[in-house]
Amino acid sequence: MNSLSMFPANLTDMVGSLLIIVFSFLSLRYAYLLTKNQPDNFLWGFLFYFCITLAAFAISRAVGHLVKQVLVIGGKEEHWVVIAPLSGGFNTLLMISLAAVTIYYHKGIEGYRAIEQKAKNLKSTNKELKQTAAKLHEINVHLEELVDNRTKELSASEKKFRNFFINSKDMVFFCDSENRIVNMNVSGLEILGYSFNDLPPLTLHDIFFNEDDLNNCSEEMISHGFIEDLEVEFKREDGTLISILLSAHAVFNEEGTFTGCEGIAKDLTRVKTMMAQLVSSEKMASVGQMAAGVAHEINTPLGVILGYSQLLMDDFPADTEEGESLEVIERQTKACRKIVADLLKFSRQSESSREDIAMNEMLSDILAVTEHSLNMSHIQVHQNLSGHLNTVVGDTEKLRQVCVNLINNSHHAMEEQGGGDIYISTKNSDDGKNVITTVRDTGHGIPDKIRSSIFDPFFTTKPVGKGTGLGLSVSYGIIKEHDGHIEVESPIINKESGATIKGTAFHIILPALLNESGVVTQTNQQAL
Amino acid sequence: MVLIRITSKVFCLFLPAVLLVFPEHALAIQTHGAPEGIYVHQMAHIFFIASLCYLFWDIRRSSFPIKSWRYLQYFCILMILWNIVAFTGHIVEIHIDSADIIKDNGYLSIHIAGPITTIKLIYYVAKLDHIFSVPALICLYLCLRSLYLTSVAEEKE
Repeated sequence: MNSLSMFPANLTDMVGSLLIIVFSFLSLRYAYLLTKNQPDNFLWGFLFYFCITLAAFAISRAVGHLVKQVLVIGGKEEHWVVIAPLSGGFNTLLMISLAAVTIYYHKGIEGYRAIEQKAKNLKSTNKELKQTAAKLHEINVHLEELVDNRTKELSASEKKFRNFFINSKDMVFFCDSENRIVNMNVSGLEILGYSFNDLPPLTLHDIFFNEDDLNNCSEEMISHGFIEDLEVEFKREDGTLISILLSAHAVFNEEGTFTGCEGIAKDLTRVKTMMAQLVSSEKMASVGQMAAGVAHEINTPLGVILGYSQLLMDDFPADTEEGESLEVIERQTKACRKIVADLLKFSRQSESSREDIAMNEMLSDILAVTEHSLNMSHIQVHQNLSGHLNTVVGDTEKLRQVCVNLINNSHHAMEEQGGGDIYISTKNSDDGKNVITTVRDTGHGIPDKIRSSIFDPFFTTKPVGKGTGLGLSVSYGIIKEHDGHIEVESPIINKESGATIKGTAFHIILPALLNESGVVTQTNQQAL
Repeated sequence: MVLIRITSKVFCLFLPAVLLVFPEHALAIQTHGAPEGIYVHQMAHIFFIASLCYLFWDIRRSSFPIKSWRYLQYFCILMILWNIVAFTGHIVEIHIDSADIIKDNGYLSIHIAGPITTIKLIYYVAKLDHIFSVPALICLYLCLRSLYLTSVAEEKE
């Protein structure tokens, strides 16, 4: 080969120089974008400075080559001779700079590794967080369902117990350690006579009648944790007493300190009254049987005594000593017969007629006879007789005797205090099936301890000779014979005002006359 | 000891005096001759090769998983090759006689006079150094482009 053309080499030099400039600036652009995107990334910073140096080197070298080509081709080689050392110097300088920057790379890579490790940790933590969040979400969803179900169960349970609390006919109450009642159901308030809307702060001290009972209850609850079926007396708002069967359970906190109690109280007043009535009627029935037996047994000998004494009276003149003795015998025997007759009436063994009776008229007749005597004792009679009173059926004489007995008792009760008032009233019961006759006085009343004995035969508080003690017994027997009952109230409670009125009231309740169709009948009665 | 101290003091005073009296022997400003430029340039090539080798080794050591870094490794290899070619070219250029480069008919018709020896052939090949440098720059471009796109994708993620 004689020669080798340098044209391909020069052409490659020119094209290559241009391409180097282009790609170095393209690289610089992406390095810049990386730096801009993540300014804190040291590695991108390194690459950016590396690319700047490289671009400068590329310009220095490539432009130098191009200028050389242009100047030499243009025949101005002497200019290139001047520029060449500068171009070469720059090339060397920038190449050293590039090498220095590259050597400095390890600092960048350390930073990058640290960042990458941090990013890796962050990514790992993020992943764990996502997994944990997913688990939490799952637990949360499950928890929500669980809470929802539990809430429903709790709500149903709460509703059940609340209904039990509200609808219980017994008193249910909760109180704190200071015996303050914090909650009581409506029935409890009704039993105690308090209004639900205007309830004052209550304590157990307010409702227990006997302080000793409360102390015993408290001691029992603290020592045993509960009390069961304890009979105590509660005090109503109006001051009246009610019998209560109390069961309660003490509540203790986690430290074992007494924090209050939960109690259920049953009103036994009605049961006790009924029991008392039952006992009384059983007693009266047995006493009546005994009285009937005694009366029958005595009645015959009395008849014989009376018969023989009357026969003997024919033999002895009345003015003789024997005649006078026989009169005494006859009189006392008749008195005994009357007692026997009363006993028979009490035991409902005597014969009775059945006729329609207008109670108002009967009472008017009685008052016409007795009013004068009452006025003499300064007793005022007040009548409040219903104008539409139903008719009753019975023995007029016997019922008259009952009314007279009651009026006489009132008379005697007020005689000692020098006067008073007798209130006589009649009315139909709310359902119209009974006629209620009330005789009320303003006397001294009946003490509690003898109330259960007032209908016993021969029971009397009057002095000897003033009464036989058969008046109320006979009245009781007569009313029972008429399928009615008699109630006593002493002292009297005003149903409207709730006030206590001194005196005694007897209520005679007799069944009203029903016609064939079962409708009560009325006779024309005079309202007074 | 005292003698040593006196000797030291005398020497310390004598030396500056000599330098002030005979300044042409002090060599205060060193003259940089013509070969120094090419020496510095060649040393720069060696320095550059060393730095590229280090970069290549460190990337490999770091075991970066993404292909971007592989492009940077290609860049290092190609640039090392370019440096070797350029370094060789500079050495060969010294040994080429200016008479061997004939440009009778202008620059475009320039050619190497025969006979073509190995030195001349190496000189010619060394003049084609862009065969290495241009692909190296392309690899660098691909590396940075890939790094940027990966970075943007990670940001979005």
